[in-house]
This record gives sequence, structure tokens and C-alpha cells, in this order.
Amino acid sequence: MKLLNATGTRLLFHLGRREARLLPQILQLYPRVPPAHHVLSRTGQVPNPQANQQLLDEALADQRSENRQQVLALLTDRQRFAPSETGGRLSLAPAEVEWLLQVLNDIRVGSWIRLGSPEGKLPELDDSTAPDFLSMEMAGYFQARLLDALHGEA
Amino acid sequence: MAGIVTPEIQPGSVQATEDQPKSGLEPGYLVICWNDPVNYMHYVTHVFQKVFGWARKKAEFHMLQVHEQGKSVLARESMEKAEHYVHQLQKYSLHATMERDE
Repeated sequence: MKLLNATGTRLLFHLGRREARLLPQILQLYPRVPPAHHVLSRTGQVPNPQANQQLLDEALADQRSENRQQVLALLTDRQRFAPSETGGRLSLAPAEVEWLLQVLNDIRVGSWIRLGSPEGKLPELDDSTAPDFLSMEMAGYFQARLLDALHGEA
Repeated sequence: MAGIVTPEIQPGSVQATEDQPKSGLEPGYLVICWNDPVNYMHYVTHVFQKVFGWARKKAEFHMLQVHEQGKSVLARESMEKAEHYVHQLQKYSLHATMERDE
């Protein structure tokens, strides 16, 4: 995944053949973080903790629903995502890059949670853990390419 | 949408975010980011820049604090603003909470 061109309004990426095939597969996994993962406060020392937690949950649920629709829209919009036999093109507005980073990190963190939230050594890879490991790493891969493009390290 | 935390503070003076006068009517709430080993360091730096409008150097300082000390106090704000920042950080799947500044 290489940044071909960046203007103030669009970033245009070239994707290799495997990348163009993998990106939709990875994005289809969204959302991956369980809804109950995010808490407003660890101590609960905020006014109306249950009501405020509920508000946060609802806001994040709305966000997930909107993001899911945007994922589907991106993958079917050939002006923005155009896979081909030899690779593909991805054209994103800066705000879409920001949104895609959020989606990819949800997939990365959610996959890590499914692996048992390992602090250090990852669990043994087997038939049950390998898909989560792969999705964690691939989401991180695309995330890193987007960050490189944003911060001029491509 | 990115927000701005004022006043700007320099790396090495994390306490400065807590220097604002305390009001009996509106106690301060700390916005805290906790370490999650899964998040890339440059991703966390990027999120801090976007959410708080910080310069890269300051964002890196807080990212390293999260990485090395397990958490970083990112801001001290009113409840509404703290909630806003926690929501913004959680949208990026960072482990952020708000805690009352006793």
C-alpha cells in the first residue's frame, strides 16, 4: 500500500493485489470490540454513573452503526475503492482516513481481546487463534500505512 | 471533531494540566489514558494530536508516559468536557476514562 498522491482534499493509495483482496476482508470484521469494553470511569466516582455510562454506550453504539454503514459504502464505491486483478486504488478524504483509522483500530483491539488480551507473549497459534491473530496484524498493517501517509513517512 | 485543551503545556510538566483553580461548584475531572499493549505508539501519538490539538512533541510525551508508567493524565476538565474527551478517545479504541480529581 503506497501513497501515490496527496492533496488537501484527497489521498490516493495504490494497493497491491493481496492488499486489495485483504482490505475488504479485514473491514468486514468491523465492529470487533465488545460494546461493554469501554467504561466511563474506573472508580465510578462521577455523578449518575449508570446514566452517564448508558449515554456513553449509546453514543458509541451510534458511532459503530454509522461506521459500519460507511465501511459498506466505501467497499462498494468504485470511485473510492477500485480493486482489480493487478491491485487496486483507494481514494480517501482526510476525514475518511481518520475514520478508517478508528475502524482499523477497533478491529485490531477487538481481535486482541478475542486472543485473551495478552500483555506479552501471544497464545499458541492454532486453528482457533490464528484468524484473530491475522486480523489483528493485518488491521495494524493498514493502520501503519495510513499513519505513514498522514505523517509524511511513506 | 478535534477539541483544544488550554493552556498549552510543555512536555515534562504533566502536572500543569491540573493547575487550573478548583471550584467548589464544579470539581475537576481527570481524563486518563491507560496502557493497552496492543496499540501502536505512533497511533496513540496521532490520536492525542487529533483529539487535543497538541503538537507532536507533547503528544509523544504523554504517549510515552502511558507506555512506561501505565497511564497518563491528559487533561483536567469540567465533567462535560471530560466526558467529551473520553468519548473521543474511545472512538479511537483507546483505553480512556474520567476520574474525579480529589
